[in-house]
Amino acid sequence: MNLIEVRNINKYFDQPTRMQVLADLSFDIEKGHFVSITGKSGSGKSTLLYLLSTMDTAFEGSIRINGEEMQGKRNRWLADFRNHHIGFVFQFHYLLPEFSVLRNVMLPALKLGRYTPDEIEYRAIDLLQLLGVGDQAPKRASLLSGGQQQRVAIARALINDPLIIMGDEPTGNLDSQNAAIVFDLFRKLSSERGQTILTVTHDDDFARRSDKVIHLVDGRIAG
Amino acid sequence: MKIFTNIKLAATIAFTHMRARLKQTVIATAGVAFGITVFIFMVSFIQGSNDFVQAVAFEQSPHLRLYNEIQTASSSIMDRADPGAVNVVSHVKPKDILLSLKDGPQIVQALQQDPRVAAISGAVSTQVFYRLGSSTINGSINGIRFEQENALFNLQAKLVDGSFKELSTLPNSIVLGVGLARRLNVKTGDRMEVTTEKGNNFSVKVVGIFKTGLTDIDKQQSYASLNTVQRFLEVPVSYITDIKIKLHDMELAPAMSRELQAKYGFHGSDWKQDNAALLEGDALRKMIVYGVAVTILLVAGFGIFNILTMMIYEKMKDIAILKAMGFSDSDIRWIFLVQALFIGLTGALLGLVFGFLAAYGISKMPYKSDVMITLDHLPVSFSAMYYVTGFTFGILTTTLAGYLPSRKAAQVDPITILRG
Repeated sequence: MNLIEVRNINKYFDQPTRMQVLADLSFDIEKGHFVSITGKSGSGKSTLLYLLSTMDTAFEGSIRINGEEMQGKRNRWLADFRNHHIGFVFQFHYLLPEFSVLRNVMLPALKLGRYTPDEIEYRAIDLLQLLGVGDQAPKRASLLSGGQQQRVAIARALINDPLIIMGDEPTGNLDSQNAAIVFDLFRKLSSERGQTILTVTHDDDFARRSDKVIHLVDGRIAG
Repeated sequence: MKIFTNIKLAATIAFTHMRARLKQTVIATAGVAFGITVFIFMVSFIQGSNDFVQAVAFEQSPHLRLYNEIQTASSSIMDRADPGAVNVVSHVKPKDILLSLKDGPQIVQALQQDPRVAAISGAVSTQVFYRLGSSTINGSINGIRFEQENALFNLQAKLVDGSFKELSTLPNSIVLGVGLARRLNVKTGDRMEVTTEKGNNFSVKVVGIFKTGLTDIDKQQSYASLNTVQRFLEVPVSYITDIKIKLHDMELAPAMSRELQAKYGFHGSDWKQDNAALLEGDALRKMIVYGVAVTILLVAGFGIFNILTMMIYEKMKDIAILKAMGFSDSDIRWIFLVQALFIGLTGALLGLVFGFLAAYGISKMPYKSDVMITLDHLPVSFSAMYYVTGFTFGILTTTLAGYLPSRKAAQVDPITILRG
């Protein structure tokens, strides 16, 4: 079963001059797969990820996620869709510095409003413990080390049980030990929970061990 | 329901932001509070003084006045002799008319029955010279029936020495303004002389001294009984020159003035005409107060605008991350709008409290004035209107100041920031 269906995507940048970044891309991603997007810098791999993330809406073609067409949807609808179905992990961890670790993890769930705040807090602590940072919960996010922050960010991405977890070089800023932890975690999520993992990565080792690799060269799929 | 929880969540994020920037938040709130405080204080104080000056002036001026005036004839005798021709008569002299109001006492009686009239008084007013020894002072004398005039102007309260009662019982008795008495150096019980325009001299006895608080009146005016003044002028008892009317509703005065002028053929004027300069001054002072308050609030508004704009630049990353998490543009807008609203609301409420305290404080301050003799504390006006206006003003400016940056925040493109 295909979770993501991409058909004939074209994407242009208008600044500084009009240039084509993605050219007529079409591919499918199956549910529960661990997919890596690779390519040299400037090949359009991040652009592709952000198109699939539903945050970039300026493109030609069709993206269907979980049976829903993303083209031409309104901001509020897309935000709600992200909230329900997509979890993000970024290269530079990107926690909200004024909030506690626990609060950071709880925020997407509070926004979703599926559970009561008490249940959300319980689930958030559970997730933090699963990721080995349970004891950091009451601390301010800005006080954590890089590896710890990234694990908190992953907990935040998981709190709403999303269909897809997207990562923009999630291990790019971590030492090899932390990178291995994150990789194993992603592997486990896709095989045990059936969550689809979609990451942009430079790391060849990381890419080699995924179910599928989308390798971009100058905005086209190579091979 | 979903919108409500969204705003509630936005508000909790907003409060976390504000707590992290407590100092800036407090300063912005203080700015708004200061603006509103100054507004409330100034409006209360200036309106208080306006009200006081008006009260003093209006107490001495009837709502409506009917009188006769010397005027130039509108048509010459030539027009009547040779109608239709072009008649040019240069330098026409004013018509000599009697200043008395024809059938004055009857009109006073008739108007007493009018339901709009609260009090009415027919009086004789004329120019005289007050003389004592070699000094001569020009002034005016009012012949009144004390009961009627008192009903209009509350004369009894203005008496500082002697009594008005003797006016009607003692012939040739007079009550002088306090300034006039001082200039003539007379006291209650002293005798002096009054000379009319026709040159008749009368010896009068001072039976009382009054003080209105208006220097112009106190320095040159006196009261005597109607009969006494009529005798001075050698006119019959039906002779009165002024009909002064107090209405139940003073706003009716201009319309009623026109009505009575048309009905009786007299001249008339109302309190608005008589005090045009005073009312104009009030309006101008009020404009100044509102101008100053709006300026202060605009400055406070710019403060909020600045703080939020700076905060949004600092928080670009956070905004992007919130959007990635699934916060919509309007959720982001609420986060910053809530901050502006909270600052505005707290500032406005504090401003109202401090404004009230400042106004209350100044109203207890003793203050003596030579011009306003009856004033012992600074006059301050307390009206709920100022507080409602100040609050509305404050909320409006801060909302506007918050809306623009929050819209900018909502428009932040998350991708450019997340890609670095």
